[in-house]
This record gives sequence, C-alpha cells and structure tokens, in this order.
Amino acid sequence: MSNLCYHCGDPIPAGLDIASELQNQRREFCCFGCQAIAEHICGADLSLYYERRDNSKGARINEDNSPVFALLSDKALYDQYVHQGEDGHVIQVSLTGITCSACAWLIEKHLSQQQGVLSVHVNLSSAIATITWNPAETNVQELAKQLLYIGYVAQPYLPGEQDTLQRQEKKRAIIRLGIAGVGMMQVMMSAIAMYAGDLQGMDDIYRQLLRWISFIFATPVVIYAGLPFYRGALRDLKNRHFTMDLPVSIGVLLAYASSVLALYMESGHVYFDSVTMFIFFLLLGRFLEAVARSYHVADRHQAPLTAVKVVKDQTESTIPLQQLQTGDVAIIEPGQTFPVDGILLSDFTSVDESSLTGEYTPVTKQQGANIHAQTVNVDQQVQLQVTEVGQNTKAAAISRITERALGEKPRVAIIADKVAHYFVIAILITASLTYGFWSWMGEPEAYWIMVSVLVVTCPCALSLATPVALTTVTNALKGAGFLITRGHVIEALAKTQHIVFDKTGTLTYGSFSITQIELLENALSSEQALTLISGLEQHSKHPIAKTFQQFAPASVSHLQNLASQGVTGIIHGDTYYFGNQTLMESLGLRVPASTVSGKAQLELYLATASQLLAKVTLCDILRPEARTVIESLRQQGIRVSLLTGDTLESAHSILEPEWFDDFKTSCLPDQKWQWLQAQDSKDILMVGDGLNDVPALAGATTSLAMGASSDLAKLHSDAILLSEHLSTIPTALKAAKRCRQIIQQNLIWAAGYNATLLPLAIAGWIPPWVAAIGMALSSLIVVVNATRLNKL
Amino acid sequence: MESLFLLIPIAAIFVVIAVIIFIWAVKGDQFDDLNREGERILFEDDDTDKKA
Repeated sequence: MSNLCYHCGDPIPAGLDIASELQNQRREFCCFGCQAIAEHICGADLSLYYERRDNSKGARINEDNSPVFALLSDKALYDQYVHQGEDGHVIQVSLTGITCSACAWLIEKHLSQQQGVLSVHVNLSSAIATITWNPAETNVQELAKQLLYIGYVAQPYLPGEQDTLQRQEKKRAIIRLGIAGVGMMQVMMSAIAMYAGDLQGMDDIYRQLLRWISFIFATPVVIYAGLPFYRGALRDLKNRHFTMDLPVSIGVLLAYASSVLALYMESGHVYFDSVTMFIFFLLLGRFLEAVARSYHVADRHQAPLTAVKVVKDQTESTIPLQQLQTGDVAIIEPGQTFPVDGILLSDFTSVDESSLTGEYTPVTKQQGANIHAQTVNVDQQVQLQVTEVGQNTKAAAISRITERALGEKPRVAIIADKVAHYFVIAILITASLTYGFWSWMGEPEAYWIMVSVLVVTCPCALSLATPVALTTVTNALKGAGFLITRGHVIEALAKTQHIVFDKTGTLTYGSFSITQIELLENALSSEQALTLISGLEQHSKHPIAKTFQQFAPASVSHLQNLASQGVTGIIHGDTYYFGNQTLMESLGLRVPASTVSGKAQLELYLATASQLLAKVTLCDILRPEARTVIESLRQQGIRVSLLTGDTLESAHSILEPEWFDDFKTSCLPDQKWQWLQAQDSKDILMVGDGLNDVPALAGATTSLAMGASSDLAKLHSDAILLSEHLSTIPTALKAAKRCRQIIQQNLIWAAGYNATLLPLAIAGWIPPWVAAIGMALSSLIVVVNATRLNKL
Repeated sequence: MESLFLLIPIAAIFVVIAVIIFIWAVKGDQFDDLNREGERILFEDDDTDKKA
C-alpha cells in the first residue's frame, strides 16, 4: 500500500480514506478532486497515462476555467481567439499542469474521443494545445470542461508577432543543422574514398568524380548552413570588435574558395570535408544552447486571455482582463491573484505579497489600502477599485527596471573572442605577406603556399576549443540539476568572487513548517489536535493552511474565515477556533506569554469557546544544507552576502548575520539591483527566486534562479537550479573552474599547433594534404580533451 | 568501375530527396516540439475510433 496519491503523487493525509477500484486494484487518493480525475481517465480507457508518465505527479485542479471560456460567447472575442475555417473552428489554449509526454497524449486522446472534435495537437515544449472542432457538434466551453475533467486548466492563447518570428527562426536553425549534417556525411564518404585512393592509387577520373560530388554537397552547407557565421562576421566588421565569427567565416570561405579553384584547375587539394564538418559541429553547439534555453522557460510574449469579474451599476459581470479600466470595480475571489493595482473597497482582507517583497506572511489590508498587481488575495472575496492597469502597475514597473538592468549587465568577455580579435589580424597579415613574398620570388606555387598558411592557421581547433568544453560541462551540470541557459555562464561562474543570496524561497523553503506543538489540555493528543486543525483549515487559501494538508481533516460544518484572525467551525457538535492571539483574546481566553520573539515565527492556538487546547508554532525553515554550503563557499574565499526584502527581525530569527559578509534586509527590488551595482567586484553570482529578485537577477553578472521560481525570474536568469539543492552551487563552481582549465589547455594546444606549423607553412614545406590532416587531428584532440569534463 | 558514374549520382539524388522531405517535415511543424515526438510512438497503442 502506498501513501502517495495515485493521481497527483502528493502524500495522502494520515487517516484519510479516499479510494477507488481502478484497473482491478485499489487506488488511494489525497482528495476527491484527484479521485474524480483518475476515475474519469480510467473510465475513458486512458489508464495507459498512469503507466507511461515520467513522474507520478498528475495535474491537480486549483481553479476553474469556465469563466474565461464563458467570455468567448462574446462574438468579438470569439472572432479574435477562434480561427473559423471551412474545416472547423480552431483555438489555441495554453495549459497549466502539463509535465511530460503522457500528459500530452492524455489530452490528445481524451479530447479526440469527444464528439465533434476533429483534431488535437499538444506542443509539450510550449504547453500549448491546438484544437479543431466542428462548431455544429460541440463548442469551446464544452472542450474546456472536458480538459478540466482530466485535470488541466486551459486559457485561450493568441500567439504574438514575436512568437511567430521565434518559431520561424527555430525552424530555420533546424533546417540549417539538417543540411549541414546530411551534407557533411556525404562529403565525408567521398573524402574517405579519396584518402583510400591516395594510399592505394586511384585513377584521376574517379578522383575528379568524387571531388565533384563533394563540391555539390559542400556548396549548400557553406552557402546556406554557414549563413549565421557570415552575418556575425559582418556585424563584427561594422562594430570593429572581432569575435570568433570572423575567423570562422574567413577560414570557411577561403578553404571553400581554394577547393573550388583546385577542382576547376584539377590540381591542388580540396578541403570540402573539413569545411562541412567544421560548420556542422559549430552549428550543433549553438543549437543545443538555444534548446536548453527554451526548455524550462515558457518564453511567452503574449498573456493568455484572463477573465475578471466586475461590478457596474450594481450588477456583476465577467469581462476580459484587457478591457478592465481605471475606475472599474473588480471582484477578486480568495486565492486569486490581483491582476491590477487598486484600492481596497471591502472592509479588510489579507494579501500575500511574497511575489513583490519576498515576505511570505500575508499582510492585513484595511479598507482604502493600496493593493498591488501580482499579489494574492488570501482571506475572502473583496471589491477593488482599479487605479492602474497593464503597463502602469507596480509589477510592470519591476519588469521595466529589469529591462534596464539587463541592458547594463556587465559583459563577460569570452576568452576565445578576446583571442580571436588579435588572431584574425595576425593571420591576415601573415597570409598576405607570405603570398607577396613568394610571388615576388617568382614562385609559381605562391597561391597554394598561401592556402597552406591559411589552412594551418584555420581556427578549427581554436574555435572548437571553447564550445565543446562548454557543451560537455553544460550537459554534465544539467544531469546534476543545474541548468545553464546562457552561453557565458561557465566562464563567469569560474571567476565568481561574490555570491549574493535571497532569503525566502532560496535559503529557506519559502513556506511554513510546524516547529512545535504544545498541548495545553491533557486529554488531547497532538494527532487529534492536528486532525482538528486540518479540518478547520481545509478550505482556507491562506499559506498556513497548506502546512496542515498532510494531516487527515476532521469533518467540519459551519466553517468560517475570520479575516486576519483565524478560522472557526463546528466539529462533532462543538465549536472550535484556530487562530492567532488576537482571536483568542477576543474569545476572552488568556494566552500564555510568548516564548519566541520576532514575527517570523507564528504562534497559533487551537481552542474551544472556553478553553485553550494547543499551541502550534510555525516558521519558515532554513534548507538543511544552507549553512554548510555557505561555510564551504566562504572557506573557498568567496564573499557571501544576504539581500532580502524581509525585515531585520524576521531575517534574524532563522539566520545569523555572522554567517555572511554582508547582511542587508528590507531591500526593495530596485534597491537590490542598486546594491549589486555599487559593489567593487563585478564577478557576482546572484541566487534568487521571486519577482522581487528579478531586477537583481537581470543585473548581476551571473544569476541563478531556484527551480520553483516565478517564470519571470527564470526568464531573466542565466541558470536554473532544478535540483533545488543548494549544495549543487559549489559543485557547479568547481565544474566551471575545471572547464576553464580545460578550455585553457585546449587553447594552448590549438594555438601551439598553429604556431608550430605556421613557419613551416610559410617556408612552403607543408603540402596542403598534410595541413588538412593536421587540422582534423588537432580538432579531434580538443574534442577528446573536453570529454574529460563529463565527470563532475 | 564505370558504374560509379551512374551509381554515385543516383545516390546523390536520393540524398537530395531526403533533404527535401526533411525540409517539408520541418515546415510542417513536425520538429516544433523536440521534447515530445520521440516518445509519441510509445503511446500510439490502438485504433480507438471516435465515439461518433
């Protein structure tokens, strides 16, 4: 018997018994929602989903998507989001809760079993489904309901111009890679035949045939697949700052041109094989980097359609968020995120502002208080007078600061690009001097000597040195749970002198944990107390309620939220209260003097109307590895700072200032960024998770977002800590340092090889075929050396 | 050995056809989702018809 929910994989609260007979086996669930979904899935003969999914985490429904689809009964909106073709109506929806291929399969299978559905396609990478249906037989609201039955919440989505551009760019990259790969294989086959011919002897006519074949296949690779490098080279020439693109382009184009010349004159050596292989491997490296970047970050440029309830002339109606205007009165349910800035019209509610401030304890707001977009309503349904929408909200302002921070981000010079700058100039001067000298000497082979010089100095090994090492270490780190999404990260990590941590959600778990239960009434056991509390909290949206979900709830009637104080309900005929000191005092109960200081620890009481039963202490706890990681980092001579939006008091209660070199509290999002900018050392690694860290993440030399971060934080960070385990950070730093060593070795070898052969080539002692073999060998050594990085 | 003059170009034509099919597949969105398609074959289990 397992104690995990069969559908969603969450632990089943102790003592809870929700089970069904599915696939001839007893399956247990954590809630009725999961049970309903699983019964529906198995009932529709889709139980293969449970066998094939990667992890045992099914989607749980947290919200209802019917209001937003109800909006589509409006003709104008329907026309906007639904494409009405002759073959049926088509809509794109963005899905939440989709994690692996099994989810995609489940959705496709389930929807296509519905009457009137013509086709369904789910894109797993972007979590967008495209559904086509026959409007005469079904409608979009019905489809949304069907999605909800199997546990997925959908929102209508309209791809923007940028999404389309990005998709086209990706398609072109795949075509380039495919052409380079196929071309390379054909040219290599011919090349092997030619090398065999060199050894065994071969008629010139066959050699010429193979050369023509290589030419035919190398040409599209050089002209089309190599295009990104030439564009980069042109940009370099314009900016007068040379990167590796320039020597790569020069090498490719000259080797190609001289090969074409050799083919035409039927003498000399052809380098089609080296050229195509070179282009293919460089393209592959770039493509893998781009794929890694788009993998874990949903980079959407358009917001999906969202519904919001408003009151106008005392009648409630639902409108799309985009139509909400300043001055409107919006109704926000508990658990819902405020979509706009506004002023609270209801008496009071508490608001979870953790996305803006990092402080996870909800803040009580009275009538007339300012409410910010992106914060979450906790207590009860409230009315809100809208003051700012869209780009004017505080959350949008943070995005703007982020844009600026990104623009001013310190650039990490990639070693290879620095080398490239001087290397190119040196090669060109040497090659032209060589040609000039031998022509002046009247040497008929002057051109071929110059080609030898260029091939010998071809920066193949040099320009592969960095990318292969980076690709290898990036993959190894991904296996360890450290996903790198931008190219410069490894070099920057190796240089890191200073690490800045956010507190909540980064060093701590960012949620409440029970630290102590103190029984004030002897007849009660702590299990009983927790069962009572879990029952009282079972429908609450307050972050505290989550803490108790692991315990089986007692059955409760007359549940009531007492805003900012607690909850109450009737269990087995007795009224119970669970809440803070204020609530107990209002009941006339005397609360024993507090033993803890600071508001980071919450003390809550369980009581009947006349008696205190138990005291529960809750606190956000430190990740267990946090302290050792900080200590080991400091031992390595790295400066470690804490930068948090929390108050000093709250930070102090779980962290000791002595652990850190700097201990900054009560920082606003832009203050975090400014603090980073004011630092002398620019080699800073920022580790954070929330929206409030985003400007700092964008502005730091390197930034690392926790795996459970907000999408915006992930989007603007250079790496994502998927393992959620802080000890991966020292591992990554070590791997980055080793990677830098390997890159240096590779560069020294490649440059040394070029430098040794160069004088010989200038002297005219190296025939082009020796140069070509040397070029291939030197690249091979670089690649083999880099594979040592596979072991972390 | 003269046959090479015929066989190699024929092989080349096949490669060109393969590339054209590849480009057609990319343009037809078949490479849109690199995380999914590799596993699709594991799920195509039966020929459940639509409940008409």
